[in-house]
Amino acid sequence: MKGSLQERLTRLGQEVLDQANRLGVDAEVFLLHNRELSIEVSDGQVETLKEAEEMGLGLRVIKDNRLGFAFTSDFSPQALQDVVQDAVSICSFTSPDQFQALPSGPKSYPSLQVFDPTISQTTMEEKIELARQAERATRQYDRRISVIERAGYEDSEFHSLILNSRGIKAYAQGNFCGTYVFAVAEEEGDAQTGFSMSIKQSLTDLDPLAVGQEAAHNAIRSLHARSAPSGRVPCIMEPYVATRFLGMIAQMVDAEAIQRNKSLFRGRLGQRVGSPVLSLVDDGTYPGGIGSFPFDSEGVPSQRTQLIREGQLVAYLYDTYTANRDKTTSTGNGRRSSFRGLPSVGSTNFMLEPGTLTLEELMNDIPYGFYITEVMGMHTANPISGEFSVGAAGLLIEKGRLSTPVRGVTIAGNIIQLLEQVEAVGSDLRFFGGRGAPSLRIRSLSLGGD
Amino acid sequence: MIDRILLAEILDEALKKGGDFAEIYIEEKVSTSVYCEEDRIEKINSGREKGAGIRILAGGRTSYVYTNDLSRNGLLKAAQVAGHAARSHQAEARAPIELNLKAGPDPIHWRRLPEDVLFDEKIEHVLAANRAARELGEEIKQVTVGVGDHHKSVLIANSDGELIEDDRVRMRFLVSTVAERHGVIQTGYESAGGVTGWELLDDISPVDMAHKAGKLAIKMLDAQPAPLGRMPVVMSAEAGGTMVHEACGHGLEADLVQKGLSVYRNKMGTQVASPLVSVIDDATLQGKYGSMRFDDEGTPGQKTILIDQGQLVGYMYDRLTASKDQLASTGNGRRESYQHKPIPRMTNTIIAAGEDDPEGIIRSTNQGLLVKKMGGGQVNTTNGDFVFEIQEGYLIENGEIGAPVRGATLTGNGPQVLASIDRVGRDLGYAIGTCGKDGQGVPVADAQPTIRIKELTVGGTAHDEDKPAIYRIRRK
Repeated sequence: MKGSLQERLTRLGQEVLDQANRLGVDAEVFLLHNRELSIEVSDGQVETLKEAEEMGLGLRVIKDNRLGFAFTSDFSPQALQDVVQDAVSICSFTSPDQFQALPSGPKSYPSLQVFDPTISQTTMEEKIELARQAERATRQYDRRISVIERAGYEDSEFHSLILNSRGIKAYAQGNFCGTYVFAVAEEEGDAQTGFSMSIKQSLTDLDPLAVGQEAAHNAIRSLHARSAPSGRVPCIMEPYVATRFLGMIAQMVDAEAIQRNKSLFRGRLGQRVGSPVLSLVDDGTYPGGIGSFPFDSEGVPSQRTQLIREGQLVAYLYDTYTANRDKTTSTGNGRRSSFRGLPSVGSTNFMLEPGTLTLEELMNDIPYGFYITEVMGMHTANPISGEFSVGAAGLLIEKGRLSTPVRGVTIAGNIIQLLEQVEAVGSDLRFFGGRGAPSLRIRSLSLGGD
Repeated sequence: MIDRILLAEILDEALKKGGDFAEIYIEEKVSTSVYCEEDRIEKINSGREKGAGIRILAGGRTSYVYTNDLSRNGLLKAAQVAGHAARSHQAEARAPIELNLKAGPDPIHWRRLPEDVLFDEKIEHVLAANRAARELGEEIKQVTVGVGDHHKSVLIANSDGELIEDDRVRMRFLVSTVAERHGVIQTGYESAGGVTGWELLDDISPVDMAHKAGKLAIKMLDAQPAPLGRMPVVMSAEAGGTMVHEACGHGLEADLVQKGLSVYRNKMGTQVASPLVSVIDDATLQGKYGSMRFDDEGTPGQKTILIDQGQLVGYMYDRLTASKDQLASTGNGRRESYQHKPIPRMTNTIIAAGEDDPEGIIRSTNQGLLVKKMGGGQVNTTNGDFVFEIQEGYLIENGEIGAPVRGATLTGNGPQVLASIDRVGRDLGYAIGTCGKDGQGVPVADAQPTIRIKELTVGGTAHDEDKPAIYRIRRK
């Protein structure tokens, strides 16, 4: 069955590529076949079960330095002809750009473990049970858990084929699975939410009990939270919070943002941009990472790219187009969210490298500080100026230990200063989707409260 | 598309192993978009999609399967997969389903279908807007102009024997600008769209939109930071309806009410707003961005009164939530595409016009803030707290419009704000947007007259966008 899907994709892709080649354009066919399952349970019963199967094709063509693009999920001969016609005719309307080019092949790709056959072999009943386990674990954690807003299991399997006129031929399949819980804890008229999720490349790594317990724990630890006094205080960011800030940094190392003058890292290559304890990597080959795949969405091999080494900015992330503009080579970061769009620079497994300290060691000499478990309104942070002022919640640190819960405060500053202020990193590297970070200790951060 | 005998066969297959209700939704869509950035046509996209979603309701459970394999075998297989997930032990034999075409509102007459407009012309409009914005002066640093359109054929059939065919065309034109002076950066944007073909441009000029968007960005360079604190706020009609969308719209969607996630649950028949306030969701308005003949479950679009002179009189229902409350769907079952199950959603949501003279409302306000244009917003429906951005705002001083202010967000609590509306104008203004909920984006419009809120908090931080009970509307 797997062989036949690969054959079918290859046949379709080759047919479209041949048609485009006959019209004298450089062409790239991106074909994606995707299967998804999501199960949501409520009180042990399946509330929603969704299964999806989808296949689509995106065709990128370049003619006289002009870019054309069209996509289809209709594979009738007529639709395939139309998609080729559309993409080619669009070339006559877009502005010429000398840096438009497709990568050349053939390339050799790293051999990665990105497909876990046990995910597709596991029965629906067993998967439903995983979601139930997560829900039960949440309820059983504490009597104050009042509502489970949602608890579920999801998995996804995808087959990707890329062919282009320059000799690229890439095919691979991958999959991943996950569970999540959103819970509400109530006590004495106060209600607080907590959530937890885990996405894994391998089913055996999934731990629904831990997810349920963490969601409950997160809701309960926030009960009766209040504001805190304003001031500059030492902070510790939980890995989840650190990954939210990584989202901002990912935009700053994106070569397109650099080239369009939308990044504070423009012109800073080789310079120190952060504390020496910080090392940042994008690694499309990271074992077990859900962003791992043998190649990117242009068929360029995935690689490990060190971006910041001990505080020094050493590289940017490139796709083929931005690499051409800077006369360098793609770092294998040409990504697309679906067959419906063009590739652009994106991260794979984007992580801050861990240190050696435990959370206790990070915290034990802080007489008074703020342990940040949540940030709100992160989308209002400005990656161009680096300014952020976001809502935050967490717990106070007193005499090296966690004390009372805090909410309704803000933390504010500039990302560049924040990177300078990181004085230690924990050993507890944890991934949330494609972004991973350990706990970070920040020398001081401006906290706005009472 | 697909004949009704095969559709009936698919529905029979879906319910073979049990289930209360089965439905198939088939969509074929052709879309194009043109984007101009950095003073050149950067991207043109053209797409064709088709797919089907099969849904089965069994007890409280929903199973949903989608595929873009629309062959007989592909659809029957999808029906089997959905049926297997929905199976029950006491499946009864059913009579074969017979489908009959459902009558509904008259089909819409499109004057210029997207496929009849050449790329040359689409590009010409986009470039004209780009030029118009750039000609406003050197302070305009960036201009993005985009136009998108689609033409969709929708077929819905269900085990109640209903068969619905619908033909849908939508387009949207948007201009966004960035102005800079001495390191200060401000933005402006304008968007227009509707359930309409390219005849939209008979009424709306891209060049005018570009002028407005560009002038707004430049004007805001002179703005001072917004004052912080609680103060009277006048929202002019042209500001559109982000406030009504967030302050009560989402909280009146029946799924959130039934899950206990709405501040408006258990409030039916009670006073939830000032007697001056009536709120309506109306899918039947001609050509608006949230208008529709049928919703995505085949229920005809309706006009539903939600709040009548301050009293809560209705929620917005799809089929599933309506059946739980033993009511009929209000035609608010919507989905982003065949890849999603329908859920209760707003269409065109409106605070009805009142009787006050709009200018008189400003004149009678001693001190406060005038909002002329709103940006996006979000709400936590569980407690009713909402926030939205102000794109264009002015101080009101002694009843006069004063200096422009920038960077303000307004925060408030839905029921409290609705109760404190003390003036309602006789005008009405619309805005369009894409409303996000449960990972699905659908086009909506909202509208309000010029209104005054006695007191609202200016300043404050937006809420967490990752939380489940938060629903956002995007305006760009």
